[in-house]
Amino acid sequence: MAEERKMVNIYIMGKHYKVPYGLTIMKAMEYAGYRFVRGCGCRGGFCGACGTVYRKPGDFRLKVGLACQTMVEDNMYLTQIPFYPANKATYNLEELTPTLSTILQYYPEVTRCLGCNQCTRICPQELKVMDYIAAAQRGDIEKVAHLSFDCIMCGLCASRCPAEIVHYNVAILARRLYGRHIAPPAKHLAKRVEEIKAGKFDEELQKLMKMNKEELQKLYNARDIEP
Amino acid sequence: MKIPYFPGCTLHSKARGLDETTRGSLAALGVELVELPEWTCCGTVFPLAQDNYIGMVAAARILANAAKMEGGKLATVCSFCYHVLKRVNYAIKNNPEARKKLNDYLEENYGGEIETIHPLEICKEIIGLDAIREKLKRKLKGLKVACYYGCMLVRPAAEMNFDHPENPTIMEELISALGAEVVEYPGKTTCCGSYQVLNDMSLVKQKVKEILYSASARGAEAIITSCPLCQFNLDWMQEKLAEENNGFSKVPVLYFTQLLGLTLGLPEESLRLDEHYVDPKPLLLGA
Amino acid sequence: MEPLAKAGRELIERIKEISGQNASICMQCGTCSASCTGRDLMDYPPRQIMRMIQLGNQNVLNLKSIWICSTCFICTARCPRGIDIARLMEALRVINLREGREVLIAEKIPLEILTRVPQMALTSGFRKLSA
Repeated sequence: MAEERKMVNIYIMGKHYKVPYGLTIMKAMEYAGYRFVRGCGCRGGFCGACGTVYRKPGDFRLKVGLACQTMVEDNMYLTQIPFYPANKATYNLEELTPTLSTILQYYPEVTRCLGCNQCTRICPQELKVMDYIAAAQRGDIEKVAHLSFDCIMCGLCASRCPAEIVHYNVAILARRLYGRHIAPPAKHLAKRVEEIKAGKFDEELQKLMKMNKEELQKLYNARDIEP
Repeated sequence: MKIPYFPGCTLHSKARGLDETTRGSLAALGVELVELPEWTCCGTVFPLAQDNYIGMVAAARILANAAKMEGGKLATVCSFCYHVLKRVNYAIKNNPEARKKLNDYLEENYGGEIETIHPLEICKEIIGLDAIREKLKRKLKGLKVACYYGCMLVRPAAEMNFDHPENPTIMEELISALGAEVVEYPGKTTCCGSYQVLNDMSLVKQKVKEILYSASARGAEAIITSCPLCQFNLDWMQEKLAEENNGFSKVPVLYFTQLLGLTLGLPEESLRLDEHYVDPKPLLLGA
Repeated sequence: MEPLAKAGRELIERIKEISGQNASICMQCGTCSASCTGRDLMDYPPRQIMRMIQLGNQNVLNLKSIWICSTCFICTARCPRGIDIARLMEALRVINLREGREVLIAEKIPLEILTRVPQMALTSGFRKLSA
């Protein structure tokens, strides 16, 4: 006897489907017969490919989530946003200064921000998007870098902005400027690079390279695993 | 005494001199400006179309956040910020539709309780010019100063309610207390051209020439202002004017808080006198 | 005498709605023109613009003047009839901007100016002069 499975109604791009409760939106769409060639990536909530917008009946509010992380709810009316056209500047990071002028040179549109906050409301990572654009507008590159750290560049913010800003591109410029020109260099990294150049690990590497498959497998299985 | 403070975007980067000297001077006079914890750009211009509420959202949010802090006031020094915050506050207080729409959108319950205040008003009304005179570490020895107000502080008078719209004197009163000699001139509330520096620079050149000649013909050795855009236009444009006219004598353009800071004994680096196109140091350090 | 054409009447209404100002009470005294910051560079000074609005003249939307205006509010401050002329100028700009006609193009701003001006110039410039 087949087990009774709880099903929910969902509407994918307007078409109705019944899918099992407990699936993520992505799995539900595949259950319904969709095969992803785009709009699908790491399936782990990290790459930003599967930004999904949905509404529930009787509620005008827009809701958002990543398809690979969000569970289906009854009567979800959803679609995925295709890649949203983005203004991406090209630059040589080495030549740039970490100042307001750099931001304005490549993205002067940040000064068009109206403070409407729609970007913040649509962010699936719950980042303070408007706040980091405000920080960009005043040249506080470090703050932009910190506030935008968890950005997965899904593009939902850019799709909603009336000032036509592409927030995630401004943010990645800021993070690059911060990493290259503001953040203090990691001393332990520099030290390790010196050690490698001085040949400290050469012997170990040579040993590994001479091992055969069984020996490598044994070594791998016996490795230290962090708790 | 603590007053919530809105610096504005420009003060954080291009006009750090105005920010630091404002905070430093008022602190030396016993008023601590407490920056709002989170803030966005105020919008710079007040939307003049009746149906444009989105242009007021940012300023409304700033005011609503200031109302959650102690003090009941919000201080700001940039003329544009002061203008837009004051006018949005006025709209929320007096226009029921604006109040409802903005509060619905922001999910706030703000009714215009905040009193927007400018450091010139803080100096005159809260601290008092006599108290300032007592705290001065040095006085300006009759330095001839023309006070430039521009547009945004004084107009439109009904809403701005900031001194007299045609002949304001609040800056002159302060500067006299610091030992300067006031230069009266008709260009004190003439527009410098403002954002047209991006679109039609010839307008800015014409207006800056007019204002500078008006002041220097009456003997001004320095011009002071409260607005970073006015300061930029009046300062930077002098390079162009000097190129075209050999007889053109440059006049340093400063923020009023830089002079205030100088007389209160703030350390020279914090005055940021290096950040001007027309170097004020030769004039000031002998003043 | 030809009655005011429909398009002209609609324009007058639209300007009135956006600005909240009644241009018909302007008595053409010329104080606004005398005070105007940009009058030397404008093609038509404020007083004549007020007259064009009163007459429902469609050309008022195509003037260079409305883009030279620096919203200094001197006209509003001095109008003896109490008309907020700055709001009328804004209405003329807004009608153009909402239909996509703008004068400040980000890419055309010279790099030297873009990186030197206090950013408030960009913020205010974009709001007033770009769509």
